[in-house]
Amino acid sequence: MSSDACAYTDYEDGEVPTAFPRTGEGATGAEAEVWAALREVEDPEMPVSIVDLGLIYDVSVDGDEARVEMTLTYTGCPAKDMLTNDVRCAALTASGVQVASVSIQYSPPWSVEMVTDAGKEQLREFGLSV
Amino acid sequence: MEPAEAELFRLADDEYVLAERYTEWQIYAPTPESDLALANIAQDEFGHARLWYDLLEEEYGYDEPDLLWERDPADFVHSTLVELETPEGDWADTVVRGYLYDAAERLRLEALEDSSFEPIADRVPKVQGEEEYHREHAQSWLDRLTDSADSRERVQAAVDQLFPHAMTLFAPTVDEDEILDAGVRSRSLADLREDWLDEVVPYLDSLGVAVPDPEDVVRPEPLGRDGSHTDDWFDLHDEFTASYRELGFDEPAELRGENA
Repeated sequence: MSSDACAYTDYEDGEVPTAFPRTGEGATGAEAEVWAALREVEDPEMPVSIVDLGLIYDVSVDGDEARVEMTLTYTGCPAKDMLTNDVRCAALTASGVQVASVSIQYSPPWSVEMVTDAGKEQLREFGLSV
Repeated sequence: MEPAEAELFRLADDEYVLAERYTEWQIYAPTPESDLALANIAQDEFGHARLWYDLLEEEYGYDEPDLLWERDPADFVHSTLVELETPEGDWADTVVRGYLYDAAERLRLEALEDSSFEPIADRVPKVQGEEEYHREHAQSWLDRLTDSADSRERVQAAVDQLFPHAMTLFAPTVDEDEILDAGVRSRSLADLREDWLDEVVPYLDSLGVAVPDPEDVVRPEPLGRDGSHTDDWFDLHDEFTASYRELGFDEPAELRGENA
């Protein structure tokens, strides 16, 4: 058999769009509280905050309504419903927030490069090579 | 139907039905590695189907039973290529099917990168990123399968059987003109088909596999895109909706032993 038979997939690093990852730095008031609550939500498979994974794209609070825009690492993510529900519940813990909605975005596409340095450190501790 | 809605059905149905056929290999694929690889590809395709079905829900008000569980099988618009039953144990069939499909899928997605319907354009890069591996997988298997005469014959038989059905990937739905006019897709099916032929014919040829002349190919009567399908589809639809029907959502729940 030729060596081609043992070809492997090369996972190239994606590019990081400017202003990503978003971590809530500089957020104030209820928005800061939502970011803090989202920090407590971990990926279902790895003990890393979804904020450090770079999955949260935007948080806004308008009156008593919070909106979170987030992405998924993978389109086939079987934990989509569970994760969006965790995010919604986390957003509801901020003071004054009565309603929370979560929308999934795929642009810009997520890549490992969007993980924060702290997140990468935790992934390494977990045993992943990043 | 809105043009973007029509294109979403083409995209979603193709991916969903292809994934259904892939999953039939689970625990039966030739090696544990190929089993895992195909299961992973199936999960990707289900994920992509969900991306497109989600948009149909968000933008056009459908719900999941409308789109899958309670939809008339004659309203599905996937290509007949993806619905055909895999001949028992015929790995070459699945490899060839995946190859022909994935080559067309890349071209179609490229033609959607600048879609006038932004939610589609937004999702394309993520999907393209996940599709690359599918083509690599199919081609590495084709290279191996055409390495010996016996298995090359199987590949040839699969190409002979599947090629006419692959042509239906480029068959129009009734909404095709509107899809182009509205700029939902930037290239016509005829253009995509030409690029696809320019890619797959020389490649298969280089492996010693002959591709029928597209002009001489007898098109299958059901085209898929117009809702006409082979019997294989109606059987598959019956199978994947069986659990949903058995759950009997329209019946009130009964306690076990009630009315016993």
